[in-house]
Amino acid sequence: MNETILKMQGITKFIFDSEGIALKNTNVKILENINFDLRRGEVHVLVGENGAGKSTLMKILGGIIPPDEGEIIIDGAPAVFKSAKESKAAGIGFIHQELNLCQNIDIAHNMFLGNEIVKNGVLNMKEMYKRSRELLMSVGFDVNPKTIVRNLSTAQQQLIEIAKAISCNSSIFIMDEPTASLSQNEINILFKLIKEMKSKGISIIYISHRFEELLQIGDRITVLRDGKNSGNMNVSEFNYDELVNMMVGRTLGKMHVCTHVPQETEILRVENLKISKRTLPLSITVKKGEIVGLGGLVGSGRTELAQSIYGARQFPSGDIFYMGSKIRKPSPRSSVQKGIAYLSEDRKLDGLVMEMDICKNVTLTYLDRFFKKKIIFKSRETGIAQKQIDDLHIMCRSMYQLVNTLSGGNQQKVVLAKWISEMPVLLILDEPTRGIDINAKAEIYRLMDKLASQGVAILMISSEMPELIGMSDRIYVMCAGSISDEINKSEGFTQERILQGTLK
Amino acid sequence: MEFIIKKKSILLVGIAAIALLIAGSFIPYFYSANNLLNIIRQSSVVAICAVGVTMVIIVLGIDLSVGGIISFSAMVCGTLMKSGTNIFICILAGAAVGLAFGLFNGVMVAKLGVPPFITTLVVGQVAAGLALVLSNGGSIGGFPESYVFLGNGSFLGMPVSNYIMFVFVALGSLFMAKTKMGNRIYALGGNEMVVKQEGINTKKIKIIVYGISGLCAACGGILLSAQLDTVHPIQGEPYLLDTNAACVIGGVSLMGGEGKIYLAFVGAMVIGLVRNALNMLGMHPFYQNVIIGAIIIIVVAVSVWNKNKNIKESKTF
Amino acid sequence: MSVSTKTINRTSSVNQFFRRFVKNNGAIVIFVIIFGFALLFVKNFASAQNMLIIIKQSAVPVIACIGMTMVLMTGGIDLSFGYNIGFTSIVAGLLIKTMGAPVWLGILAALTAGAAIGLGNGILVDKVNVPAFITTLGTGYIVLGAAQIVSKGNTINKLPKNFLAVGQTPVGVFNTTILIAIAVAVIFYIILQRSTYGRALSAFGYNKRASFVSGVATSKIHISVYVISGFMAAMTGILLTIRVNCAQPDLGGGDYTFQIITAAIIGGASLFGGKGTIVGSVFGVLIIKVIENCINLAGVQYFLFQAVLGIVILFAIVFESIKNKKL
Repeated sequence: MNETILKMQGITKFIFDSEGIALKNTNVKILENINFDLRRGEVHVLVGENGAGKSTLMKILGGIIPPDEGEIIIDGAPAVFKSAKESKAAGIGFIHQELNLCQNIDIAHNMFLGNEIVKNGVLNMKEMYKRSRELLMSVGFDVNPKTIVRNLSTAQQQLIEIAKAISCNSSIFIMDEPTASLSQNEINILFKLIKEMKSKGISIIYISHRFEELLQIGDRITVLRDGKNSGNMNVSEFNYDELVNMMVGRTLGKMHVCTHVPQETEILRVENLKISKRTLPLSITVKKGEIVGLGGLVGSGRTELAQSIYGARQFPSGDIFYMGSKIRKPSPRSSVQKGIAYLSEDRKLDGLVMEMDICKNVTLTYLDRFFKKKIIFKSRETGIAQKQIDDLHIMCRSMYQLVNTLSGGNQQKVVLAKWISEMPVLLILDEPTRGIDINAKAEIYRLMDKLASQGVAILMISSEMPELIGMSDRIYVMCAGSISDEINKSEGFTQERILQGTLK
Repeated sequence: MEFIIKKKSILLVGIAAIALLIAGSFIPYFYSANNLLNIIRQSSVVAICAVGVTMVIIVLGIDLSVGGIISFSAMVCGTLMKSGTNIFICILAGAAVGLAFGLFNGVMVAKLGVPPFITTLVVGQVAAGLALVLSNGGSIGGFPESYVFLGNGSFLGMPVSNYIMFVFVALGSLFMAKTKMGNRIYALGGNEMVVKQEGINTKKIKIIVYGISGLCAACGGILLSAQLDTVHPIQGEPYLLDTNAACVIGGVSLMGGEGKIYLAFVGAMVIGLVRNALNMLGMHPFYQNVIIGAIIIIVVAVSVWNKNKNIKESKTF
Repeated sequence: MSVSTKTINRTSSVNQFFRRFVKNNGAIVIFVIIFGFALLFVKNFASAQNMLIIIKQSAVPVIACIGMTMVLMTGGIDLSFGYNIGFTSIVAGLLIKTMGAPVWLGILAALTAGAAIGLGNGILVDKVNVPAFITTLGTGYIVLGAAQIVSKGNTINKLPKNFLAVGQTPVGVFNTTILIAIAVAVIFYIILQRSTYGRALSAFGYNKRASFVSGVATSKIHISVYVISGFMAAMTGILLTIRVNCAQPDLGGGDYTFQIITAAIIGGASLFGGKGTIVGSVFGVLIIKVIENCINLAGVQYFLFQAVLGIVILFAIVFESIKNKKL
């Protein structure tokens, strides 16, 4: 149990583009000098907030992206992975959060995909089914290997993935939030399996937020914060306050401006809304001139809530009241016409039209309002675009520059410009400063404050603690699809309290 | 409604049975062995083409070049035969042409990322155009007896065409169910990302699949020319609709990942049956196309609607 | 040092301008090349009379190509276009000749029929989510069959003079058909380049999801392009009927559809959605008609033209895909 089988040393990763290549000129580091080691037969829990770097670190170990600096040492020998396949071949089994199976074929065919058992040029179905069954039984899953994967539950599919990784002789497992969609019963089954795996000498890196779980199953804990090592702890010496401090204890910067004062008028009232059939109903309100922060872990349902309010997503039940009257059939178009704006999480996907220039992107949303007679007048359009470029300090050569040539921060500003080129009544922001440099962040905060002081009601989703605490007048914390806590500024925002809300 | 759609094979057999019954009650001699075997013979070209198109649809593609390849491959084969070449070589040449066109489709789709419907539409037109060029606008016919025997002869009471078709269907079905490649083709249609992560070359698989489809279309075209003892440059045109209809009716899902060749075969039989019955009732092929066109839309619309419903229910939130 | 930098800058900005021009107006460049080639090597090409023929033959396809281009811009396709032509031809012929209805009524009915078919396509593609190629393939066959049924397989000849006058009245050296084509091109140029609809359509073509989230009326736009395509098919049907003085159910057809698609793609309509211009459509048609004209003048068989067309569009597709990948 004491032998170290894996060492990650000095791992550094700069922010990267869609191809995994580092954007070194921006100098933003996602991971900085990370050290991590794993002993044989242990369950080593990796803990940290959103954006702390856990996924990125594991993606490096899993061969999905390369590190910019540092090395990986397995069983004493350095290892370099150029692909997921190489990582697998080195004995690392990655159980992702999103299921990695082909839903349309059966268990056995999935398990041997790529390694099919062949006899005389033809699949040896008998052998494949026999071996599948053995593997499944070894993880405690009694099921017919001829079952089509689509008909199995998430928990069951997870067991299949584990069985598949075991069949590839994986000695190191990475489990990313394995219990996220499991029932208590299924969690017990998984833990029993994990203990068995431990006894066979398999080591597991376990990413999770759930403290009760890591106490049950973990041996050691490593905490990451803001891309750096923040501390280690043995589970046997567990101290709650110390752990929380490692996760969030930081001095909050002073870049957040607050000159606005929330008014009394309610702009948005959400009553008993369920974002899905299985979650609890939630209720929130946003007042005029108020900045309401929405905190919670990735996957807690914040984006789903925002999109439900905005009308980009359907929800099973609940009422949305906007300016006192109920919204009957929310849709993005009707929301825009009413004065609701929504800055989405992923600007490349649904925030910007990458193939169009700055000017066209900025005027896209309120096109009908700018040009009531349906004809676009160039001079008016350039005037509108130029005003936004000036107000938000968008760095560009010309407004006819295609947005896909801009930096992340400037792209985000263009999206923002689009939404505020006409003053909205309710502005929903989903991670407004994600992946942006410090200066741009400060400018956006200033802008938010200015808008609020002009009466705009703002609902801000944020995974960044300092941002949440620094900008909000009130904070809702979401967990598993419903609201777990509501904190007023007067009560005092603390990182610990927010964190607790995310973990319920 | 959902349950029925899940058990596609049962639904299909049901349709076929009902169609048979209805046809039989209106048409004399419909149930004669002669007529039924003839129906199968007439459907054999569609069935052979459907073997390839099924595979293409499974990997989320479509093959609209079937018609053109039928015409051109048959034209190549026929032209060579008229100039006295060995029949075997002619057939091989025709098949090779179809394979080449198919592989070309595959490269365009897999390597260049061109949407399959555009690629195959254009390639089909090019093939059709080349057929016209090769024959100078006219048709050719009067092929050697041994060749015509393939399309019209009988062996042990069953048309030779049927044997040929069964070979294709059987080989195709076995290939998909029992080989490594077959498994990977289904997996690709189900979740391309997973297949890539296993280090499998998905581009190569797509190219092979389109190649097979071209090959099947060519063989279908050659058989057709043997049946008709003629090659007319636009002979293949009507087969585009029927082949795709056969696959769609046979439960091959346009969403990818689903579909059995032997069911597409049943689909081809159903289409052949419907056309035969309607012919005997005096309905002009044009009107038949209306019905088949409507059937395709309805079947696809239902399957898309069903799939969308399932997607909505299965997401975490 | 400063002198050489200046020179470099000037050359590179000329270079850049040239490159951008080719990129955005590839169709014009190709047209100039092919036209030049024809002028030099094809006998009897360079005559005013021949130019007029080309213009006359391009008029109606330009109208058709505009409709198809708009559908292609949304990443879809309209395979029912050619069959729509035949159907609307019969509708017009039946009403005007057989039933003696006034010309304006016949034309209105045909246009409505075409638009209705387009509406059907649009709803199936947008609301039911059936892929465009399957939908329009299916509706195409249905419309073809319907045309045959309604016409009972017959053609309608010797149409009334006041109907023919709609397209055949001479205007200087041109005729009314050409004028109509020019009017359509100008109107749609304004719509695509200068109207809010055109901008929304362009955004929709490039990124459906972003447009939707940005508040663009995506359903309306998606359905409207199919309606427009159907309407254009009807206009094509009416004008072609006038040209050949005969309403026939197989007017247009699959080959016509393919020629129009070819023209649209050569004209620069993106296969992947988004890009598409009126100028491109016009020049795409001109290119095809020039090639056709050359083949006729050279005495080559017509079906060679079809094969050449196919190969031309193949090059266009390969070229476009490589460009797209580099992006």
